[in-house]
Amino acid sequence: MGPFLQYTVIGLTVGSFYALVALGYTIVYGIIRLINFAQGDLSMVGAFIGWTLLVSLGLEHLPLFLAIVVAFVVPMLGTAIVNLGILQFAYKPLLNRSLLAILITALGMSLVLQNGSELIWGPAIEAYPPNLLPAEGMFLGPVHVTYVQIALVVVSLLLMGGLVAFVQGTTLGTAMRALAVDHDAARLMGINVNQVIRLAFVLGAMLAAASGVMLGLYYVQIQFTMGFLLGLRAFTAAVLGGIGNIPGAMAGGMLIGLLEAYTTGYLSGKWEDVIVFGVLITVLVVKPTGLFGERVAERM
Amino acid sequence: MTADELMLTIFVIFLALAFVRMLAYRLYGEDPRFTQWLNRVDSVPYWSRVIAFLLVMGAVAYVDGDEYFTSVMVSVATYAMLGLGLNIVVGFAGLLDLGYAAFFAIGAYTSALLMTQTHWNFFATVPLAVLFTGTAGAILGYPTLRLRSDYLAIVTLGFGEMTRVTFTNWDYAGGPNGILQIPFPEAFGYVFQTQFDFLIVGLVLLAVAMIFAQHLEHSRLGRGWIAIREDEFAAESVGVPSLRLKLFAYVMGGMWGGLAGGFFATRIGAIDPTSFTFSLSVLALIVIVLGGTGSLPGVLLGALVVVGLPEVLRQFADQRLLIFAVLLVGMMLVMPQGLWARIRRKPKPFYGLQEEEGEDVAAKILREHQVQMEERDRRHAAAGHRVIKEGEAILEVEGVVQQFGGLRAVDNVTFEVRRGEIFSIIGPNGGGKTTLFNCITGVQRPKAGRIHIDGRSVVGLRPHVIASRGVGRTFQGIRLFKNMAVFENVMVGLYPRHRTMTWQAMLHTPGERKDELRTLQESRRWLGFVGMEAVAGRLATELSYADQRRVEIARALAAHPHLVLFDEPAAGMNPTEKVELDGIIRKIRRLGITVVLIEHDMSLVMRVSDRIAVLDHGSLIALGKPAEIQQHPAVIEAYLGREEDDLMERAQGA
Repeated sequence: MGPFLQYTVIGLTVGSFYALVALGYTIVYGIIRLINFAQGDLSMVGAFIGWTLLVSLGLEHLPLFLAIVVAFVVPMLGTAIVNLGILQFAYKPLLNRSLLAILITALGMSLVLQNGSELIWGPAIEAYPPNLLPAEGMFLGPVHVTYVQIALVVVSLLLMGGLVAFVQGTTLGTAMRALAVDHDAARLMGINVNQVIRLAFVLGAMLAAASGVMLGLYYVQIQFTMGFLLGLRAFTAAVLGGIGNIPGAMAGGMLIGLLEAYTTGYLSGKWEDVIVFGVLITVLVVKPTGLFGERVAERM
Repeated sequence: MTADELMLTIFVIFLALAFVRMLAYRLYGEDPRFTQWLNRVDSVPYWSRVIAFLLVMGAVAYVDGDEYFTSVMVSVATYAMLGLGLNIVVGFAGLLDLGYAAFFAIGAYTSALLMTQTHWNFFATVPLAVLFTGTAGAILGYPTLRLRSDYLAIVTLGFGEMTRVTFTNWDYAGGPNGILQIPFPEAFGYVFQTQFDFLIVGLVLLAVAMIFAQHLEHSRLGRGWIAIREDEFAAESVGVPSLRLKLFAYVMGGMWGGLAGGFFATRIGAIDPTSFTFSLSVLALIVIVLGGTGSLPGVLLGALVVVGLPEVLRQFADQRLLIFAVLLVGMMLVMPQGLWARIRRKPKPFYGLQEEEGEDVAAKILREHQVQMEERDRRHAAAGHRVIKEGEAILEVEGVVQQFGGLRAVDNVTFEVRRGEIFSIIGPNGGGKTTLFNCITGVQRPKAGRIHIDGRSVVGLRPHVIASRGVGRTFQGIRLFKNMAVFENVMVGLYPRHRTMTWQAMLHTPGERKDELRTLQESRRWLGFVGMEAVAGRLATELSYADQRRVEIARALAAHPHLVLFDEPAAGMNPTEKVELDGIIRKIRRLGITVVLIEHDMSLVMRVSDRIAVLDHGSLIALGKPAEIQQHPAVIEAYLGREEDDLMERAQGA
């Protein structure tokens, strides 16, 4: 029982990172039906901006609380600007054209972000300050939980809660939900469609950046290629939960995190990908719209 | 010239060609001389054009190419093969595949293992590699057939990753180190080992891949795929077995990937799992989208750009991937359709067909239809079913119920349609008319009740099966295949009548050629039948609303059905067009086809119908001859409401 719970803790921690990135996929997809392949790389960009602040600019020497707040807020804003730029220059002109063309563009932007970051920050592995956060933790029964794990999961949950509150409770959130259902009807009701699309990209980027910084704080090491696997896992999570569905993305992220932790723990890290994708395919075969996806009726 | 200069020259030539082509279509698209010239080019057999082109490429490499240039060309050929296969899956059938590298890997490993472990000759391993990847295609395809395209993207991506991880962990195949010392290909004692030798082998394989792909595209299979890509639901309803065709696309696409993989293994001499990552799948996808999805010359051009461009950019060393990515995005923004886009409209689609006089066409359609009807009656009787005669019930609907949530869209409806009559279903909006059509054509399964066509139950059959039993239909909101030419739309309608096999289509056998020609001829006749022959070469979207409806009618008739269901054919037509429609419906009846009509235009309905059924709130409230229906109190009430006093009284009473 001990190892099982220990794996569960690891799985939930990693899963909350995935859930944040998956939310980005899902929000953007819900609104413009685009799989924004650059999502994982936005996370990486966020992680590097955070690293620059903490290490290169020496913010790690500030009081802990202040350092952490800055290390989250600035990358989130910076990445949001990057994502808005991507939207404006790369996706906007193609929005009403073929889906395939825009998908290729998204893959291209993922490459641009990766190689651009390599140029800026170099190909080497960089390290977040290892002693920034307390390494100790506590025992909950047989399970050892570090304070970092608790803090990161709490921050993720807060971000997710904030997102849900925003989407469900505000006028803009309602506009987002309306747009996800029907673009034309939403436009006719006076919703500024472009503004809502921009909002979706800002939210997606902010969540991705937050998860990037958390990954850096948790694993310490970051590299310009880290976005690929993160994006892949998060995309899988979003589809598993039913893409376009916000609670689905969160649940999907947690499930993928748990699955990964159990596979690594009980089997071997070698088979991680096979198990994760195997489960995904099985779920989709049984329920083609994902765990929480609704059946989309075909209109005649 | 140095290799780089040569490569740049080739780039410039091709891009200029692509540009000139685009310009020519834009400026001279309507010019008859341009059309004539195009048709003359088209009448040169495709295989000879492919071989001529590849010979030129080979000659360039021989005369002016060094070792390095030739090896880049070999890579271009490999990627082109890969692109051709992926093009079948993504370009033709419209199934997004992000794990295509898996097929490349399976082909390469099959070939490599057979050569190193059992010492087979390379050329003997190719058929097996192709067979294995085809099987892998079926394994991937079967469980995923019903998934929407975005979901397909991640499943195929997963399939690709799973395949790679499996090879990494498979010790027999060398694990992460892969397979080393794969022998060179050998034929009649000659060992292919220089880059130029490989180029020859590569170009021969590419020629085969290219010619087969072109044959497939221009067969009924290719048309079926493109129809599915455009509108799967409509394709299914005119008789295209969409699930089977999608599976076929995976199998075929896999086979092409296997060919490319086998060639890659022997050429490189050592393979390991890192050669088959996600980025390879992405590159293959870029090849086809950049070239123009669905376009075969585009695949060659795309392969040239994807392989050649990074080589030319070598001098930028570190930044070359970044520049490549930026250029890629830029190209997509400037030409979202691709460099060598597939242009589907044809100014003169019936070039080379024998001209026919108008009356001749009508007579031929009638004769052909009678032959078809006799044939099907004979088959029907031979299978032990009773042949329905004129005036007997051809369509029996008995107690049909359809329910969505709490709403009973169709509530216990019973009626029958007799062979040879024109039967209309009318009623206020939301009465359940279209839902009833959907139940009859197999789009929806009714919750209860029986539906018999020709004395056989059709409940639970897939739409394409019902269509192939001789039921044609049109849709309330027009569902033509938008990016196909008008004549191609009608040709898709002929799908159920074809009998050619896939291998015949791939080899383009004389039998298949005859069949294709007949299809083209017949689609032309049907377009003449509805008066649309003049616009046969246009894209479906370029037509007016009324004309689109007429094309849809031609498509529904193409397979010689004995029962057609038209859903609001007069919607959006002006009075003159409605009169013409009237004539078309009568002409259809004269062929002996039973017509069921949903229509709101009462004067049309009253003019043409033999009998009318009225549906209101899902229930059948009246059934009878037009004169009876006009007098029927329940019908008047459904359309006009109760008399006003009545309403007032009820309001006061409440």
